[in-house]
Amino acid sequence: MRSHSRRFVSMTAVLAAGALALAGCAKGGGGGAPEGAAGSSQKPLENKAVSAISVGTAGDSTGPAPEVPGAKPGGTVYMIDRDDFSHLDPGRVYLNYNSSVSALFTRTLTNYKQDDAGNIKLVGDLATDTGTTTDGGKTWKFTLKDGLKWQDGAPITSGDIKYSFERLFADFITEGPDYAESWLVPDANKPFRDQYKGPYDGKELDTIETPDDKTVVFHLNAAHPDFNFTVAMTGYGAVPKAHDTKQKYDKQPWSSGPYKIVSHVTDKSLDLERNENWDKNTDPIRHAYPDKFHMEFGLQSQQSTERFMADTGNDKQAFTFHNPVAPERIQEVLGNPDLMKRSLQGLTPFTTFYNINTKRVTDVNVRKAIQLAWPSKQIQQLQGGEISAGKIATTVMSPTVLGYEAFDLYEKSSKPEGDPEAAKALLAKAGNATPTIVYAYNQTPTQEKVTIAIKEALGKAGIKVVGKPLNAGTYYDAIGPVDNKYDVYWGGWAADWPTGSTAIQPQFDGRQISDNAPNYSHLNVPEINSAIDKANAATDPAEAGKAWAAIDRQIMEQAAIIPEFYQTYFGLYGSGLGGVRFDPIQGEQSALNIYVK
Amino acid sequence: MTTVSWSGEPGTSRGPGPFLSVRDLSVEFSTEDGVVHAVDGLSFDLEKGTTLGIVGESGSGKSVTNLAILGLHNPAYTRIGGEIWLEDRELISADRATMEKLRGDRVAMIFQDPLTALSPFHTIGRQIGEVYRKHRGASKKEARDRAVEMLRRVGIPQPEVRVDHYPHEFSGGMRQRAMIAMALVCDPDLLIADEPTTALDVTVQAQILDLLKDLQQQFGTSIILITHDLGVVANTADNVLVMYAGRAAERGTVREVLREPRHPYTWGLLSSMPRLNSSVDVPLKPVRGTPPSLLNPPSGCPFHPRCDYPRLAGPELCFGQRPDISPETGHGDACYLTLAQKSELRTAQTEQTEDRTEDRA
Amino acid sequence: MGRRAPARSDRWSTYETMTSFLVRRILGALMILLIISAVTFYLFYAVPRDPARAFCGKICPPETLQLVRHNLGMDEPLFVQYWHWLAGIFAGRELVQFGDCPAPCLGYSFATQEPVFGAIVDRFPVTLSLTFGASIVILAFGIVTGMIAAWKVGQPLDKIASASSVIGASLQIYFVGPLLAFYLVDTMQLIPRPSYVPITDDPVGWFTHLLLPWVVLSIIFTANYTRMTRSQMVEQLAEDYVRTARAKGMSNRTVFFRFAWRGAMIPIVTIFGVDLATLLGGAIITEQTFTLHGIGELAVRAVQNNDLPMLLGVTIVGAAMIVLLNIVVDVLYAFIDPRVRLT
Repeated sequence: MRSHSRRFVSMTAVLAAGALALAGCAKGGGGGAPEGAAGSSQKPLENKAVSAISVGTAGDSTGPAPEVPGAKPGGTVYMIDRDDFSHLDPGRVYLNYNSSVSALFTRTLTNYKQDDAGNIKLVGDLATDTGTTTDGGKTWKFTLKDGLKWQDGAPITSGDIKYSFERLFADFITEGPDYAESWLVPDANKPFRDQYKGPYDGKELDTIETPDDKTVVFHLNAAHPDFNFTVAMTGYGAVPKAHDTKQKYDKQPWSSGPYKIVSHVTDKSLDLERNENWDKNTDPIRHAYPDKFHMEFGLQSQQSTERFMADTGNDKQAFTFHNPVAPERIQEVLGNPDLMKRSLQGLTPFTTFYNINTKRVTDVNVRKAIQLAWPSKQIQQLQGGEISAGKIATTVMSPTVLGYEAFDLYEKSSKPEGDPEAAKALLAKAGNATPTIVYAYNQTPTQEKVTIAIKEALGKAGIKVVGKPLNAGTYYDAIGPVDNKYDVYWGGWAADWPTGSTAIQPQFDGRQISDNAPNYSHLNVPEINSAIDKANAATDPAEAGKAWAAIDRQIMEQAAIIPEFYQTYFGLYGSGLGGVRFDPIQGEQSALNIYVK
Repeated sequence: MTTVSWSGEPGTSRGPGPFLSVRDLSVEFSTEDGVVHAVDGLSFDLEKGTTLGIVGESGSGKSVTNLAILGLHNPAYTRIGGEIWLEDRELISADRATMEKLRGDRVAMIFQDPLTALSPFHTIGRQIGEVYRKHRGASKKEARDRAVEMLRRVGIPQPEVRVDHYPHEFSGGMRQRAMIAMALVCDPDLLIADEPTTALDVTVQAQILDLLKDLQQQFGTSIILITHDLGVVANTADNVLVMYAGRAAERGTVREVLREPRHPYTWGLLSSMPRLNSSVDVPLKPVRGTPPSLLNPPSGCPFHPRCDYPRLAGPELCFGQRPDISPETGHGDACYLTLAQKSELRTAQTEQTEDRTEDRA
Repeated sequence: MGRRAPARSDRWSTYETMTSFLVRRILGALMILLIISAVTFYLFYAVPRDPARAFCGKICPPETLQLVRHNLGMDEPLFVQYWHWLAGIFAGRELVQFGDCPAPCLGYSFATQEPVFGAIVDRFPVTLSLTFGASIVILAFGIVTGMIAAWKVGQPLDKIASASSVIGASLQIYFVGPLLAFYLVDTMQLIPRPSYVPITDDPVGWFTHLLLPWVVLSIIFTANYTRMTRSQMVEQLAEDYVRTARAKGMSNRTVFFRFAWRGAMIPIVTIFGVDLATLLGGAIITEQTFTLHGIGELAVRAVQNNDLPMLLGVTIVGAAMIVLLNIVVDVLYAFIDPRVRLT
């Protein structure tokens, strides 16, 4: 179940969704990493992605994007990957993998701009800036740039943007995010589809106003100071009313970006060619150097790694959005300077952790003792080491989230293999020297090994671990109920946008506990709940970041989860390409700066 | 029955003699367990237009002998010695093409089980016709007409219809008639019938034998009739050859062999056969023991392990030395008992049987 | 010792007419397909997992999940869902999550959102070409080498054929495939890398690009058919009716090709009918080995993704193919063996 897949939207969306294979064991990383890959000789990973995240200005939002030195237009870029994109209708896109390709033909109101130093700024994409609010985030106004066109040359209007949001209420659009939908209906506490059923029966959503062709005003039912981050999600990308083919739109989206879809053969290939109606002067983040993209699917990471290493024919001009270096090839790649020149590493927004069911393990000292005794290092080695699995985590938020603060409450930096003595001391304090915990896990060979390591390490501290193997297909169905019978179980999460609100609130707001909700630790602490409300209300992003970091610390003090990894990405591309970047927002390779050498 | 002595190399022609003459034939099969001496030093003659019945138990070499005449043994694991003369042609040394021409044309064969012996995949008409086409170069149409004619000749009703039927659509007797039609389509000089009636019920048996007789009278065909049933021989054959363990045990005319059998084995065969004129209460007396292994035949007379009289004849002879058939011509047998002893024993045996019949009466 | 017709209870009796045979077999086939689909349907739901989750975003409110279930028609009792599925094949259906699905509708893939029927039709030529070509190779090579071995029984040629068939039978597609690809495609560059070129676009390309998959898929089977043909021929050559043919003066060649061959083909045709299912299984592995986008790949994906509609569709189409081909084999059988010929 450990994922090499960074199609990480979330464990719930990805894993429980029956598409378990995506983030689950099927990726091959889970059990495939050789022990050797975790050798101590391994060079420590640079924290390239840990970078300042800020909100940019109107100036940052104007096109064209700064030229990439040495880049030239023309040529065809190839993309090889394991899976076809599951959705291309923006309303149905949630997976990072779908988002990465959508960036080539779907534009959003705002988007992320990465500078050469790795700093990330939220900038206006279709909008002239990142939106303005005068009432603390309840009303948001966006103005569209001049010269925006669809692939047929028709102008992109505020009406299109309004329509793009309205159609998200339609009954067939269920896969995408639903933040904006719940915020745009009068009553946030009632199901949004009970309040508006979408535009297909002719009804409009009157919480979105379009005073003129260039202006869109959103009236939210509560203050959401980071709504401008929300609309950067591909899920809120633009869809033209004139070309909305409803369910069929998923296969043939209408382009607002620099490329349009020429052909898409499910599970085989996707071909893109230049959209002549895209004007680079309107776009601060896209370069569109290549004339064409040809994307092929069906290659496991072993196959794609071998092809990148061989670097012959069209593979020279190939990259991959998603496939990482196959675990068994990592050492070989690390030892080869030529390959390393065309490799990418970085931290993804995905974090993994072990939930402690606070409804069952009610004594915080017992939870802390588990944390202290936890064999983080052994687990990392069993999963293939830092490059293959990730950096040992000590916080809830990933370093890729705005406001992230590094702290380590449970000696993970100094004693990553666990501190049974300290754990014993805490257990003595708790008055329960030999607690028994039920550990539920996904039954794979690697996870069996991990379970043994956990049993041993916790056993040294006097904690008895009872392993409960679960079936991969029903893992989340088993741990989903609030009254499940397990004490500790693995999970993963990625923020939908890099602020604490989606990194923390869904998982730790105690008022949102329900069956199958993301709050798998069932933590319900009033102080944390109110701190979440306060942080959500903070209008200054930096100040909000601080508030979220403080909540992060509170949660860790409650020992609600045992952080496992900040997930890492390590991938290769062909020697004939330049401008291939790691995208810390999606946690995989980005196509936006690519050019053929 | 006469035997002329001749000299000559195999394959060369010879002077006038019997129509078919088998001289000192031996057939050996090499198997995984060793060499099987299926036929060993067998000689016999057949005159034109007569019927020779070859009688013996299973494994006595009857069929093997006749397959050797047709050259149907697989040369890869069979060794054949001796000579087989069909008129002026030696068959053992003949090449494949010669034999192919001969088979079905001058020499034809009828097999025991017409169901398995006929191809299930081809119509009766085709199976008959293809022989005619092969040897007479007939056209398809001529072959078919000939097949109809042959079917009519062997007494199959509605031959124009039946000609297009498959063997499985025929009854057992009809199949054997068709088989005979197939064998006779080229008017062969020699017809070898290997237990032609064994698989048929008794009434059909008689019909088939009558048919063979009729055809022989009409066309002058020589027939070798292989059977284990002396009754069939009695009704059909002119001469009889009794075979035991790949050798001739006794030979002579039907009358000679059935009336005055000389060899103890022949006695055994006769007493194991029910007779219409004896009481049903008289138990049949089969030959005791089992046929000898041909892989490892007994020394001396191959029949000695089953014979009641080695003491009479002299054990050193019976156990030690193989008896030759004597006299060389006419009614002969391969046994060391003197003619007088044989006659005495035969009479005693007959009386014994009759005594028992009387006791019970 | 006698000739025996293989006992197959569903084979026609001697006096059944072709029409009634076909009607009976096709009705039987439909029943089988119905049962297979119902069992697959049931088994999928017997596993406690919820495919609706795949259509629900990361934070999935219960009402959205319920909506998805409704969209997919999964909020109805199982037999109603099955009925809708069945009806969809003949009448088409409207699926909220995916849109209109015209007949014959096998639903939409949960994983790729494409119409199942369309996906199968798209990929059908690949698998058909693969299995058809491989069948030809298997039968042609297997029977020819088997006949040669039987003709030259005990001689060096027989031993070579027999030995190579043993070697072939012990090979594995996923082992031989990449190996042959490495030598023939990469090193020697004798043939192009396997892929599917539609026969209608470029028959030569179709042939050359599929040559390697055909050979690889057929290797293990060919060996089997060599052995079978050889032993059947040897057995047939010992049959009474073959002896009769010889006794009639038929030449060795005639005996071999006109008589024994017919008898040997009967069990081979029968076994081939049974092997078709295995061949389809082999096609799955071959498609995986050479990344050919055929039905096999669809099937593997469907299993991996818990993609019920695709799984059902592929199962039914696969089963239909096997059942249909078996009917064809039985008809073929009648042409070879007059004893089961129809009146």
